[in-house]
Amino acid sequence: MKPGTQKHGKQQTGTIIPMTFKTLAKNPVFKTAAFLLPALGCVLLPHVMTDTYYLGIINYMILYAILCMGLNLILGYAGLLSLGHAAFYGLGGYTTAILITRCGFGFLSCLILSGIIALLFGILLGLPTRKVRGDYFCLLTIAFGEIFRLVAQAWIGFTNGAMGIVGIPIPAILGWSIRTEADFYYLGLILLAFTSITLSLLVNSKFGRAFIAIREDELAASVMGINTAVYKIIVFGIGCFYAGLAGSYLAVYQTTVTPSNFRLEESCLMIIMVIVGGMGSLFAPIAGVIIMTLATEYFRGISEYRMLIIGVIMVAVLLFRPQGIFGTSAFKG
Amino acid sequence: MSLLTAETIGKKFGGVTALKDVSLFVETGEIVGMIGPNGSGKTTFINNLSGLYAPTTGRFMFNGEDITGLPAHVITGKGISRTFQNLRVFPNISVLENILIGLHCKIDTSLWDVYARVLKTRKVEKQAREKAMAVLELADLSGRHDTLAKNLPYGKQRLLEICRAIVSDPYLLLLDEPCAGMNPVEMDDLAGFIRILQKKGITVFVIEHNMRFIMSVAERIIVLANGAKFQEGTPVEIQKDKKVQAIYLGEEGDL
Repeated sequence: MKPGTQKHGKQQTGTIIPMTFKTLAKNPVFKTAAFLLPALGCVLLPHVMTDTYYLGIINYMILYAILCMGLNLILGYAGLLSLGHAAFYGLGGYTTAILITRCGFGFLSCLILSGIIALLFGILLGLPTRKVRGDYFCLLTIAFGEIFRLVAQAWIGFTNGAMGIVGIPIPAILGWSIRTEADFYYLGLILLAFTSITLSLLVNSKFGRAFIAIREDELAASVMGINTAVYKIIVFGIGCFYAGLAGSYLAVYQTTVTPSNFRLEESCLMIIMVIVGGMGSLFAPIAGVIIMTLATEYFRGISEYRMLIIGVIMVAVLLFRPQGIFGTSAFKG
Repeated sequence: MSLLTAETIGKKFGGVTALKDVSLFVETGEIVGMIGPNGSGKTTFINNLSGLYAPTTGRFMFNGEDITGLPAHVITGKGISRTFQNLRVFPNISVLENILIGLHCKIDTSLWDVYARVLKTRKVEKQAREKAMAVLELADLSGRHDTLAKNLPYGKQRLLEICRAIVSDPYLLLLDEPCAGMNPVEMDDLAGFIRILQKKGITVFVIEHNMRFIMSVAERIIVLANGAKFQEGTPVEIQKDKKVQAIYLGEEGDL
């Protein structure tokens, strides 16, 4: 101990810096500022970053963030390895594309319906798979993903086959027509905020705890009074709902949907993003989304070889930080 | 009327008879012990009672209601909680969250409440937290509510598992070998804790191999052997019983 600190007496036993940080973190002004400043930054971003290329990358990050947060609910919270997430993403995409181009629906109703259809199919797939565990569950979701893609490819009358549905018009919500990259950025931001708020409400309730209990020990969970079959269906349905929203966003953003948007590789990429970011923690997958999107963009020049880089990143994360960058200790292995 | 009556419970796994015509009763407020050599069907009996298996024959009456073969989560809702022989706390979450999961069936929150009635849900959560902390206080674990369950010492994990089972205020608590792996000091603490639970009005049904523990805790002991009820009586009677000694230690002529 330094001689100078002696006279402060025995009250100050801990080090000074963490103490002040702790008190600062509890300060309501600091808390609101810590929330408002990044939020303000997000809102003002398109004015600072006017390059549409970079803004486009950020829009894809937002899209994947919504997808991965939904997937994280299924994979990280309930511990169900779903490799068919792209199918629900696709269901949302096709719902919006078909309803807008053929039935003249407005975008807002398409967005909601896309989510609901993905939710319903999630529940539908959850019903037969509720008693299946581990590897077999994973196989069934892969099968569902492939069935979806093949149907989308083969049912030419309904989905226009491999050509996909093109020419999706500019969407409008309550008179706000979404044209520029910046408009899509704001739409994505609203969806991401919705996803974050609804998911954090869910995981901080008894439902979130029930999902974690199922992941930790399914038998013990059932003895705690948790109807594990029902809760697995709920978590799967809700996770898929967000995939439907993201699919709807994709349809209007890229103005086309094709079956190749929703291949197994997409599901794998989402899983990698969630694993790299960290499972079982609400916002952790966003870190994975940012890293993987930047990596794929940066190495775009070497085309297919960038998959090698993605593999290297994944192996490095699993070796040095198995729970992911911000994951919970449950996945430390 | 007894709190729990088991009537001629039988369980077969294929050709193996694990339980045969076990009939017993548990009165409200009692501490009942069950002992028996390895493989005598004690855990099978509890698994049948708590809904992990459905008995092949017989029925369980609990609070005047037939609960035979109901799924485990429904039986928990009716007020029967249990612990496991091979410790099953949720390892990677905090002690407090473990307890909160134990409260699951008592938290009245629907999906609609989660999204549309946020304030109500928050209030319910706060009450649940207070209740959980009170139970942790009882077991002297409240100082460690933030610790991950797997980081607790073994004896404390056992205690945590019991806390998780009692937080939902069950009528009947089933303990499956709670002393397994404990040292004598931890065992005495546990015996004291079980008596506290009895004073709080919880009926306890405990399976245990450790004779010192079960003789000190239980008021009535049921002996199982080869899947059937063999003997029943107070600890003193059971200790003196020559037949019970024989099934545990073998008879004189055996060697």
